[in-house]
Amino acid sequence: MTFRTQFEKELEELKLSLIKMGDLVIKNIHLSLHSFVEMNAELADQIIKDDKLVNQFEYDIEKECMRIILREQPVARDLRLITSVLKMITDLERIGDHASDISKLTIFMEKNNKPFLVKQVHKMADESEKMIKMALESFVNQNQTIALKVIENDDIVDDYFNEVQHIVAEAIRQSNIDADYALYLMMVTKYLERIGDHAVNIAEWVIFSIIGHHRN
Amino acid sequence: MINNVFTIKNLNLFYGKYQALHSINLDIERNKVTALIGPSGCGKSTFLRCLNRMNDLIDSCQIDGEVLYHNDNVYNKNFDVISLRTKVGMVFQKPNPFPMAIYDNIAYGPRCQGVKDKTELNKIVEKSLKNAALWEEVKDRLKDSAMSLSGGQQQRLCIARAIAMEPEVILMDEPTSALDPIATMKIEELINDLKQNYAIVIVTHSMQQAARISDNTAFFHLGELVEYDKTDIIFTTPKKVKTEEYITGRFG
Repeated sequence: MTFRTQFEKELEELKLSLIKMGDLVIKNIHLSLHSFVEMNAELADQIIKDDKLVNQFEYDIEKECMRIILREQPVARDLRLITSVLKMITDLERIGDHASDISKLTIFMEKNNKPFLVKQVHKMADESEKMIKMALESFVNQNQTIALKVIENDDIVDDYFNEVQHIVAEAIRQSNIDADYALYLMMVTKYLERIGDHAVNIAEWVIFSIIGHHRN
Repeated sequence: MINNVFTIKNLNLFYGKYQALHSINLDIERNKVTALIGPSGCGKSTFLRCLNRMNDLIDSCQIDGEVLYHNDNVYNKNFDVISLRTKVGMVFQKPNPFPMAIYDNIAYGPRCQGVKDKTELNKIVEKSLKNAALWEEVKDRLKDSAMSLSGGQQQRLCIARAIAMEPEVILMDEPTSALDPIATMKIEELINDLKQNYAIVIVTHSMQQAARISDNTAFFHLGELVEYDKTDIIFTTPKKVKTEEYITGRFG
């Protein structure tokens, strides 16, 4: 039985907002890679515009957290949960920025460059998206096992990053890749690798909200 | 051990057949504020009153276990209760100044103890009022009745009255529940200053107050000590589910 029905409702709404922000960010990563691969400047442009919505989510959630801290004076698991949300939205916002960054590269390289497609980049994007989904799932269900799995999966993304690096280096040596495109591709890959790191940060905050301290 | 003023061992308390405290084990540290929290009827005030034997005044009250004040059980038959209450002062929920002058309120205790020298009494009154952060407000009206002071000032006067006896421990039973927010803030600041010289044990219904002012927090429920730890830990990562449910407002 709870005496804090309103507070419980506010916490549920906060979780829901975070999920919505996460969904938008995942969609933007997905589309940004499409825009890059397909050299679709129009789509890229749309993603850059949509990044404002991500920023708005961050602003709104931050404001809501501050309001809850002020009005409900949360302690213990509630305080940890809200602190974690405040930290997680920063990571989600940064992921959104990276989706936008990838889209900006699409606009720069349009027309002039010959594409060089590497399947590992797609796999990286898929894995990063999966990590974010899992990190958010672990948060909503307060599930430490899933959060730990996210942290573990970062190695997969890092391995893909190294593979792409080798493939691109070899392609440069063999003159099979346009120089500008090689640079852009490595930048995209680096953004995806960073997105994986942000998903790890989110998972670490989930663990903090569950156990009350940072894992070693 | 050397930093503990009180060590409570296996304390049980009965009001007639009703057991109000169950096997309480707890240490009260020197120069620390210890907050006792818990829902109404959980035994926190009863526990507080055990520390200076205020429960002796209740006929049906029976106690077993030990309340060690510097290794002496205060419930030993030959223990000097008057001296205990001198060393363990108490401040109550409602300010209860004596209906006499401000000066006489403070001088009352020392006079009872045999201090007659006027200069000495003046010194005690000034020092006590200064330590209770009241001196500046009353120094020009020491002969006025204590009843003319505001509620917050009266409560600080009661604290000054306790300090005048040079106690080692000050017990406070919801000392700010009858005060407005500003007066509450002043008392809280005062508590923070006082812990430099005294051990303070405070019963409070305000968990925010416990979180703000205490170093250690004890959570009581149904006469049992559920959890006792550093306040930071109690309010961020309590170990017991019951504690977490209470402080997050899920029951109470």
